[in-house]
Amino acid sequence: MIIRWICEKDNKKWMYPIQKCIYCKGPIKKQVSRKARVIGITKVNIPSPMHPIIPYNVILLEDEHGNRMPKKTMKDYKIGDEYKIEKAKSDSAVIATKIKYDLYEALKSSLELLNSFDVMENDKVLIKPSIIEPAYSYTAVNTNPKILDALITLLKEKNINDIIVAEQAMIGNDTLDSAKKSGILEVCEKHNIGFVDLEKAEYVEKEADGIKFRIAKNFIERKVINIPVMKTNSQIGVSGAVENMMRCTHKDTQKIMFEHDIEKTLPKLLKTLPRFLSIGDATIGMHGQGPTSLGEPAFLNMLFASKDPVALDVVFVEMGMLEMPQYLKECGSLGLGNCNEKTIEVVGDELEAIKFALKPAKKNESAHPKIKLIDGKANPYIFNSAIKATAKLVGLSGQEINLAIGSQLTKDMIADKNRLVAYGNGAIEKIKSLGITPIAEITDDIDDLEKIILLKSILENPEKEGITVVDKIKSKIFKFGAKIKNGF
Amino acid sequence: MAIYIKGAGMTKFDVDERSSYERVYECVNEALDSGNVSMREIEAVFVSNCEPETNGERQRHTGPMMSSMFQKKMPIITVPAGCGGGGTALWNAAEFQKKNNMRNILVIGFEKLVANLSENITDEMFMGGERIYEQSEGVIFPAQNALVAQQYMEKYGATEDDLALVALKNHENAFLNPKARFYGKKVTLDMIKKSPVVASPLRLFDCSIPCNGAAATIISRNKTGVELAGSGLSTSKLASFEREDMTSWDSTINAAKIAYQEANISPKEVDIAEVHDAFTPVELISYEDLGFCKKGEGHYLIRQGITKINGKLPVNTSGGLKAKGHPISATGVSQIYELFLQLTGNAKDRQVDNVNYGLAHNTGGAGSITSVHILKRAM
Repeated sequence: MIIRWICEKDNKKWMYPIQKCIYCKGPIKKQVSRKARVIGITKVNIPSPMHPIIPYNVILLEDEHGNRMPKKTMKDYKIGDEYKIEKAKSDSAVIATKIKYDLYEALKSSLELLNSFDVMENDKVLIKPSIIEPAYSYTAVNTNPKILDALITLLKEKNINDIIVAEQAMIGNDTLDSAKKSGILEVCEKHNIGFVDLEKAEYVEKEADGIKFRIAKNFIERKVINIPVMKTNSQIGVSGAVENMMRCTHKDTQKIMFEHDIEKTLPKLLKTLPRFLSIGDATIGMHGQGPTSLGEPAFLNMLFASKDPVALDVVFVEMGMLEMPQYLKECGSLGLGNCNEKTIEVVGDELEAIKFALKPAKKNESAHPKIKLIDGKANPYIFNSAIKATAKLVGLSGQEINLAIGSQLTKDMIADKNRLVAYGNGAIEKIKSLGITPIAEITDDIDDLEKIILLKSILENPEKEGITVVDKIKSKIFKFGAKIKNGF
Repeated sequence: MAIYIKGAGMTKFDVDERSSYERVYECVNEALDSGNVSMREIEAVFVSNCEPETNGERQRHTGPMMSSMFQKKMPIITVPAGCGGGGTALWNAAEFQKKNNMRNILVIGFEKLVANLSENITDEMFMGGERIYEQSEGVIFPAQNALVAQQYMEKYGATEDDLALVALKNHENAFLNPKARFYGKKVTLDMIKKSPVVASPLRLFDCSIPCNGAAATIISRNKTGVELAGSGLSTSKLASFEREDMTSWDSTINAAKIAYQEANISPKEVDIAEVHDAFTPVELISYEDLGFCKKGEGHYLIRQGITKINGKLPVNTSGGLKAKGHPISATGVSQIYELFLQLTGNAKDRQVDNVNYGLAHNTGGAGSITSVHILKRAM
């Protein structure tokens, strides 16, 4: 797709959206071509960080208006060949699209390339963005509001007007605060679309393989368009289309899913859900210690779209040259989607041509270099709380702590760990059941500020063998002082 | 008001890990000494540098860095313009001089580029390309120029052999230049033609060599033996594929037109030229855009030996970017250094006889920003 913004009067062409001509002040016409001819070819033999696989070809394309663009490809073309992207043939196809300055056109093109767009004029639509914590859009923590804006615009152009946006933040974070800071709420208001806080939604129960899922009723009754942010995830490797659907369940269900091993329960959840369309937000995307703001923006400038959430996630994993997460393999083996990258139909940009190494998330890292995380698949509340607490201690020196979280800890994970701290009730109970005594236990019921004070005390005192009554009193006094300072 | 070149200096272009401060100090000293000038007499500085992230220096704020080095409070203006930085800095300095009539203005270009893994350096340079269409589609600079070369060769019948002759000529010249990266290193036509393909049709020897270096020159209101007779600067669209004709660089044509007018000469009067041969086809295209021949005839100049050091119009007697080396922002100023040596009769083994006019052509990107300077023997 070659796009130009042109002023016919002044014979000017821009490669990016221009609202009006800066010469004649007149209107701008958008010129979009979906067919082009190959007029140049070069085979590149030297790698660079963004293009590590060599050799690759760059073809120079020219459309009927004489507009040109280069395109990276692994295929061999000849000068004079026609370059055209064919529509997907299968339901599990993944559309991969590089955004050329115009998100709306990229999204439109992605949806047109699906073998069918199954949302009709009278359908009731639910858009499920990813909003996990109060963070600005540049952090790539939450779905880019510009995608939501473009999607709603496209749906309205198709006369699909019964649309809601529904989401809840990661447990422990306020949904409306998160929706507001992310910019999602503003887009909803702009389009006069209702935002449903799923914490207050009506739920229906569905069962799969012995697990009862309480799923927001709207997700059963409406056609769902899922817009996850494509990220690396320090707990499960990658979060994308499959993981984003976890937050259509009640918080208690989410906790149960983690207690029963999230990598095994995500596929089970997928079994209970009607089919949905996913649009993977890699406008920025995240790598490193995602999914929270510990991760780094990846600046991918891409969109993925698929009716198969498993295939979509697998394509992202392959693109980022990451290790395949266990839950995606499980989804594949249960027939919930295609997890075989060799048989996934990738349409648009070629998978091999978009590959470059993203930074994987490291499982044992917290925000503080001296606090190592031992993650027994902690639920989002505990995980979030641990990450936030360790983030508050950044800058303090001390002696290494092993902070164990989650109820899926094993003896192998913790047996030889020094200065083991059990964080959260799940970890406390599990460690006890394994016959191991940590130097400290920090329970769920104490205030976040107190947790930080207690962790600080352990970090800074190498000889410390546990949390004493004095520590607990001190942390309560500190918390009380902080409340007075903040005027309660 | 006439502007003169009072002095010039440059470091050897190499991959030595010396700091930027050491290199700048060295070339500025040489420029001051060659013009018999003290730092006391310098009233402003124009400096160009890309501030690379990969060289470990983490030194932005180049102007104050120079102020610390020169121990002097004066206007120090930073002029980054990618590979065209040095020439652009000189153009700015000349314009500043026309308005302010200062005694002496120092112009510096420096770069510590080669200080990391080659893929990281490639990536660093890659940032000079357009992000959405070029960087994300793998159009590294060799690929960008390969696509231009292909269009050019198809349109005008130039061949890979012509490109090889450009490389050979510039290597022969660099062999004689003690400050060139390839000084004293014998490169044969066979080596050039058998070198690995980087981005077809361009081979390794069609690409300029990244290196570290610094160069300085002093422009002055006081008459010297070399006059800066004309200066032109022009920009064009960032991406070469955006331009109507990919085989001709309008920024070169525009900058040259201004410089020739200002110097009141025609291209025929140019005796010697330093041309921005970042890639060998660029030298051929530039022969045409600078008016040394008609459009599409650039390859005949190289075939006929006209641009060899003993030819009618020697081009890149220094070795050019190809073989002297290309430390980005230093390149444009190092071209002035070469012309200064030639016009003052100090080019030793590579001295060309009867040089009255020398032209320097310096480009950033694939013709995105170009300066053309014409130096004249003033005695």
